[in-house]
Amino acid sequence: MTAVSGSSPEATPPAAGGAPLARGAPLAGGAPLAGGAVAAAAPRLAALLLGGACVAWTATPPRHSGLAGILLVVSIVALTAGALRLALLEVPQPEDGYFLPAPVRAWLVFLAVLRLLPWEEIVVVALVWLEVLHPSRPWHTAALGAGLVAYLLATHIVESGAAPGRLLRRQAKVLLAGACLLALGAGFAMLPAAGAGAGSALLRVLAAAAVVAAAALVLPA
Amino acid sequence: MPPVIQNGGGRLPQVSLPADDVASVVDVRWRPSRHAQRLLTLAVAGLLAALLTRRPELAGLAGPAVLLLGAGRAARPSRLEVRTGLTATRLYEGELGAADVAVTADDGDWDARWTLQPGRGVEPASVTAVSGAAARFTFTMPRWGRRQVGSVSLVLHDRWQLAEGRVSVTLPSVDCYPHPAMQRTRVVLSRLPNRLGEHSARAAGEGTEFTGVREYVPGDRQRAINWPATTRRGRLQVNTFAAERSQDVVLLVDATSDVGPPGSSALDLGLRGAAGAAQAHLNARDRVGVITYQWGGARWLAPSLGRRQVYKIIDAMLAADAGWARGAVFSRLPRAALPPGALVVAFSPLLDQRFVEALRDMRERGFPLIVVDVLNVEPPSRYTFADVMARRIWRMEQQAIRFSLRELGVPIVQWDGVAPLDLPLAPYTRRPLVVRR
Repeated sequence: MTAVSGSSPEATPPAAGGAPLARGAPLAGGAPLAGGAVAAAAPRLAALLLGGACVAWTATPPRHSGLAGILLVVSIVALTAGALRLALLEVPQPEDGYFLPAPVRAWLVFLAVLRLLPWEEIVVVALVWLEVLHPSRPWHTAALGAGLVAYLLATHIVESGAAPGRLLRRQAKVLLAGACLLALGAGFAMLPAAGAGAGSALLRVLAAAAVVAAAALVLPA
Repeated sequence: MPPVIQNGGGRLPQVSLPADDVASVVDVRWRPSRHAQRLLTLAVAGLLAALLTRRPELAGLAGPAVLLLGAGRAARPSRLEVRTGLTATRLYEGELGAADVAVTADDGDWDARWTLQPGRGVEPASVTAVSGAAARFTFTMPRWGRRQVGSVSLVLHDRWQLAEGRVSVTLPSVDCYPHPAMQRTRVVLSRLPNRLGEHSARAAGEGTEFTGVREYVPGDRQRAINWPATTRRGRLQVNTFAAERSQDVVLLVDATSDVGPPGSSALDLGLRGAAGAAQAHLNARDRVGVITYQWGGARWLAPSLGRRQVYKIIDAMLAADAGWARGAVFSRLPRAALPPGALVVAFSPLLDQRFVEALRDMRERGFPLIVVDVLNVEPPSRYTFADVMARRIWRMEQQAIRFSLRELGVPIVQWDGVAPLDLPLAPYTRRPLVVRR
């Protein structure tokens, strides 16, 4: 079975008052099968490239410790698996059957594993951990934050089939405020500490977290 | 008041809907989306790392994720109205059908994503996943039968894509009719019953086809006088015309054995041929009926007129359950199913001996009979002596069956299911079929 996804740029407004479906009403869908292939591939490729950029950004400069190497490998594997999951998103799960040949069974197991684990979360945790292993580099970390949010948004766009332009327009203000918080975090890190010791560093972290929490609380729903 | 369907947590609520446009009110339970879970992971990882390492830039890393999560407090509709409908509940093989779905809600800002899960034997002809409040999915069915179109799952996202609700709607079933074979000509009997119709009979009557000239007798209509002939002969001559009659046609479909690849099996060809023949004869105002020999005996539909009869005939054939029962007997049919003098057109691979016996019995009772042979496959065989011999014996048996029927005066024509039915029937449609008793 061919299964291709498509999306209408502007969703048809809901019919008011439970009016019956008009036969000639503009409806999303009905597009030919071949037309949706390019549109479906673009956001998948964008998610893969953004994830790859995040991994490369975090891994530079290379750390030569054992844990850093493991985290790098884990993030690359998780990113690849996540990209494969997105690429095979539309492939239907075959119905149960008896006495399936070995290749089919292997394919089913592969699909199940691919869809079971939260690959994107693994990428995020591995990259944050890898970033922690590096010495403090505030602007580098802020850029990583922006890249990770973009990667997660691209992944969600692929999964939900939402129109990217519409989604980004709706969230533009919040994303802009998030970028400001990233800059504030980097700025906090670059401020010289009032006094030497662990307490001063902890206070700076708490101050940055308080700014983030305050921004989230005052945001209108 | 439409029924209210409660959402069952993680499982999709199933809503079964009849064929016409139907609205159902569905309660939606929202839960965090995968996107929200990932943002939460990023936020927690960033904040924990900042606290453990005492580096404030990592707290900033969590900032956008926390902001997006905090913004996700928008109003979400808890109740939706889902409407579904099919453009047709009857389709021919290969014909395009469409399922319309739409969702409405009183409040909230949300996005909808529809995904079609086609049923068995249903092929989507458009994309299977569509965003929007309303969607149309087109599909085709390559083979006849009653089929479930499938189901449509609806995934709703709130404005911030942080919560999602899921509903699954089961689409109604569709009757897929066999695509009628092309047949423009018709087999007409030489002796037609005394009933008004469109076929020119041998007897003189009030039709439109000129048959000759005869001398005027009192009572003839003046407008029938042939003046040139009258002038030549010196006495009044009148034109004569052929009577126009209709005939009874009974289609015999052998559903006892279905051999061959799906889509071009003997039963597929039989049903398509019978549907085409029914259309052709009903267009000529013949009375057409059908008898289906099948599992457990015979089912029949009495001959009748009109376009509705086409659908009745196909419905009767679709109810056929292909198969063979050892104890089944094809006893004599009632007079209503097989009127005397009716033309019988049989579509059969002639594999079931009982069906062949039924044909012989009909012929011996004087019914004019034509058999359309729809057997287009042979038993599979390997290149071994035993297999080759078995195939030769099988072929000889088939030839013997056909020979015995021809000896009884039953014409047998081979049809491959691709060419129009007019081609194999051409020798019998060019002139009236003479009935020998």
